[in-house]
Amino acid sequence: MKKLAVRNLRLCTKDCLCLYVCPTGATDTENSVIDPAKCVGCGVCAEACPSGAISLIPLEMPPQQPKTEEIKGLLRAFARRRTEEEAAARRIGRASEKEGLRKLMAAAAMSTRLVTEDVLREAGFMLPQCPEVREILEKLADEPPAPDFPEETLWRLLGKLPMPGGSGEKKEISYRCGVCGLVFPLTEGETPECPVCGAKGDKLLPLENA
Amino acid sequence: MKYICQVCGYVYDGGEEAPFDSLPESWKCPLCGAPKGEFKPQEAAPPAGTEGKAQLEGELGPFTAGQLAALCSSLGRGCEKQYKAEEAGFFRELAAWFTAAAPPAEEASAESLAESLRRDVADYPALRAAADAAGDRGAARICVWGEKVTRMLSSLLDRYLREGEAMLEGQEIWACSTCGFVWIGEAPPELCPVCKVPAWKFEKAEGGVKA
Repeated sequence: MKKLAVRNLRLCTKDCLCLYVCPTGATDTENSVIDPAKCVGCGVCAEACPSGAISLIPLEMPPQQPKTEEIKGLLRAFARRRTEEEAAARRIGRASEKEGLRKLMAAAAMSTRLVTEDVLREAGFMLPQCPEVREILEKLADEPPAPDFPEETLWRLLGKLPMPGGSGEKKEISYRCGVCGLVFPLTEGETPECPVCGAKGDKLLPLENA
Repeated sequence: MKYICQVCGYVYDGGEEAPFDSLPESWKCPLCGAPKGEFKPQEAAPPAGTEGKAQLEGELGPFTAGQLAALCSSLGRGCEKQYKAEEAGFFRELAAWFTAAAPPAEEASAESLAESLRRDVADYPALRAAADAAGDRGAARICVWGEKVTRMLSSLLDRYLREGEAMLEGQEIWACSTCGFVWIGEAPPELCPVCKVPAWKFEKAEGGVKA
């Protein structure tokens, strides 16, 4: 499974070992975000990082946990009531001139929103890249709810989210470099070349995935 | 008898010298600030109504603007966690649009909101029972935090309705940005009593309402 290294800036203690060990220079950026275009997902940086600030996340997520229609329906009904509470809290806060009540309603709106988000995630919308989410977004793109709806944002988002059954169908192959020993993954169809020493062709040995 | 806080799980054991019943009505949970009334005997049977049905009819129709707002902000968070900053930004923009588009509740009052929150608290055990019956771990899990957080919010609003602005004078209100737990005090707690994240995860509620 192809992975990408990501850095948690709250944990990073700037030991910069990732700079030493990254075979492609992906960790060498000024904004501290590991460059996804260069990262080959070899994981060497995560192993070397003394503060545990780097982790590897898979590019392809597994299907979501199955949900029964009954649970989905109950959670969605509950979520609707909670969103009505949130809208009520916003309105009460806006309409009031009492500072305490305004603050309490702001906190109520925040709190209720977070609880609703949790409820909707468990109603079958956990992953942004799942087909269930895409279906909702595509429906909105077909029938925008109002003239001032930010359609362009929606289209750009749809362009970034993976198509179901798209590129993800390609197989992942790991290679061991016969020259420097690095093990690195490649997606089927890519021309193998060692990211460390540049070895190609029969110097690279495809590994059987366990 | 020991008493347990239904919001954060703190156990009060005053022994013979300071039994729970001897505490004044204004006494609060030292950990999360929940009022005395949110405590129950630790060995008590599950509250009546656990077996009952939630006052909820399942629904799978089209989403409302309010639901789409929460869905989009949730998915934005999901992108953020995967370090997909651009997608996160798009989702947040959509969430902001839907939040503004969610129809305002015309007759909403602090009293009607308090009533709705009490209904939520009462419905959680039945939701939990349905999740358990379906073997749905995730749905069961969110009932745990959700019930605690909602219980706290509900009791704070009820208290505000009794005491008014005096309750909040010179105080700040904080909401945990992970679970939604609401805390009143000069500074946020060191750890969220419900979900245990550190103080920096708390956001201060401002007098203006956040979009």
